[in-house]
Amino acid sequence: MRIKSFGSTLPEWQRGRSIQIQVDGKAIEAFEGETVAAALLASGIHTFRLSRKNKEPRGLFCGMGICYECLVTVNGTHAVQACLTPVAEGMQVETCREWEL
Amino acid sequence: MSETYELAVIGAGPAGMEAAIAASEAGVKTVIIDGLPREGGQYYRKPSQAFTASRKTVVEKEGDLLAERLAGAPAVKIFNALTWGIFKEEKSEGWLVGLYGPDVPKWVHARTLVLANGAYDTPVAFPGWTLPGVITSGAALILVKSQGVAPGQRVLVTGSGPLLLSSAAHLIEAGVEVVGVCETTRLFPKGIIYAPTMLGQLHRLQEGMQYLSLLLRKKVPYRTGWSILEVHGKEHVEEAVIARVDSKGIPLAGSLRTERVDTVVCGFGLTPNTGLARMLGCRMEYQPQKGGWVPLRDSMLQTSLPGVYMAGDGAGICGAENARWEGRLAGTAIALLTGHLSNQEAGKIIQRVGPELARQRRFGRLLGELFSPNPGWISLARDETLLCRCEEVGLAEVKAAVADGARTLGEVKMVTRAGMGNCQGRMCERSVAGAIMQACLAEGATPESVGMYSIRPPLHPLPMDFLAEAGLEE
Repeated sequence: MRIKSFGSTLPEWQRGRSIQIQVDGKAIEAFEGETVAAALLASGIHTFRLSRKNKEPRGLFCGMGICYECLVTVNGTHAVQACLTPVAEGMQVETCREWEL
Repeated sequence: MSETYELAVIGAGPAGMEAAIAASEAGVKTVIIDGLPREGGQYYRKPSQAFTASRKTVVEKEGDLLAERLAGAPAVKIFNALTWGIFKEEKSEGWLVGLYGPDVPKWVHARTLVLANGAYDTPVAFPGWTLPGVITSGAALILVKSQGVAPGQRVLVTGSGPLLLSSAAHLIEAGVEVVGVCETTRLFPKGIIYAPTMLGQLHRLQEGMQYLSLLLRKKVPYRTGWSILEVHGKEHVEEAVIARVDSKGIPLAGSLRTERVDTVVCGFGLTPNTGLARMLGCRMEYQPQKGGWVPLRDSMLQTSLPGVYMAGDGAGICGAENARWEGRLAGTAIALLTGHLSNQEAGKIIQRVGPELARQRRFGRLLGELFSPNPGWISLARDETLLCRCEEVGLAEVKAAVADGARTLGEVKMVTRAGMGNCQGRMCERSVAGAIMQACLAEGATPESVGMYSIRPPLHPLPMDFLAEAGLEE
């Protein structure tokens, strides 16, 4: 969910340009300046990958590149950290793909 | 060929920026390196450049001023560069720093180092903590403050320490329904003992009171002495169970309460990011009030390795202001060491920094003692709860390894693979250590006897072909 009103302590924002990215073949709206993780969460996508052994859903956890839980596939590259990667027009994101590191 | 510097500063947050400014302005040939696209670290992290804001917050303005000073300083800046390893140079005295990132040099040489790697949320394992929708307070703050995205619609905030109030207040301001804040530490009467020292830090008290009054206005319950017990959900968080806990953090029977939420924000204090220091072999000591394992440092912030300095929260949690003063001190110390400042010139700066550092540390110690990691937190995990999220190792497996004779983190890692995954043990080290200590209480196990995971390069997972190539070049 993108924040509309920022209350009294946070500044109001103008987001970057509206763009489209493809997530598992479906187009979703994103804004320049967002990370892949933020764009996915804003579109209601919370499961980014499945754990290797138990195939349990995992998503954003630390949000700053420490925990490696938010790995997704971006434009064919596996194991990309969604919390650090900025979105770009036409980007192809795949969630829950299996790979070996 | 790689560039040679007199100083490499790793980390461009409050501490690293001040260190690079102080050293380079004194004439030290300096490079400052960070994994993020721009300076500021987590504390001065700004909304994306593609966003335009109506105004700047006080912290943003402070960060902008510091960023301007860094931009004007003659240090070389390398951003988007992960430092994956640092190696002692065999031929010359100094260090070889391995970098990974788009359009960044693969290696830089440096005679001295300032490690300013900051901190991350202390991970605490409880049933359900791997479900999507359970996030750290750092993740929540970054989402709200620099991405303008709310992590969910109904949120429970749990953990311990001042970051809880900050997270809750920001979520409320963002229009999120916060169903409650569970602070595991019983603040009263503990807080009253510390009140006199608190008065020396009025601006910080005021910040806390502002957050607290927002919570009161919005009728959000602030429960001290309460903790998360477990989180339920199939694909995502659906409900959270909370309970009153005793002074050791152990849940009290009969106090369970279930909250329907879609998100749980956890902030159990901060852990210093000491991976690089440990990889290099800096001597460490266990200081719970500083966030756990921290490097031994002399009065000039030099570690046990000559020429390797550490500054800021990465060397012990004490906040951003302290980090800035430490950065300045470390930068000055290196200017003195490399002959760019005379004893007298450096002495003048050190005299100014000393009292400020003492003041910051008094406050840091107080917060550390008030909110230091609770040994009872490990009791939140049950046998089937994963401690190591990467390799999916549960508490039961760790207990089994201990029953088979493992007594240290290294031994448990070998038997169970806990700590061998992508995060290099940052997410599970404390829980696994806690589990070993709990299982070996009768033997008098301590953090020192259990030890630490050994950290080896690469510090971050890297593509194999990159590593092969980098290795051939040097």
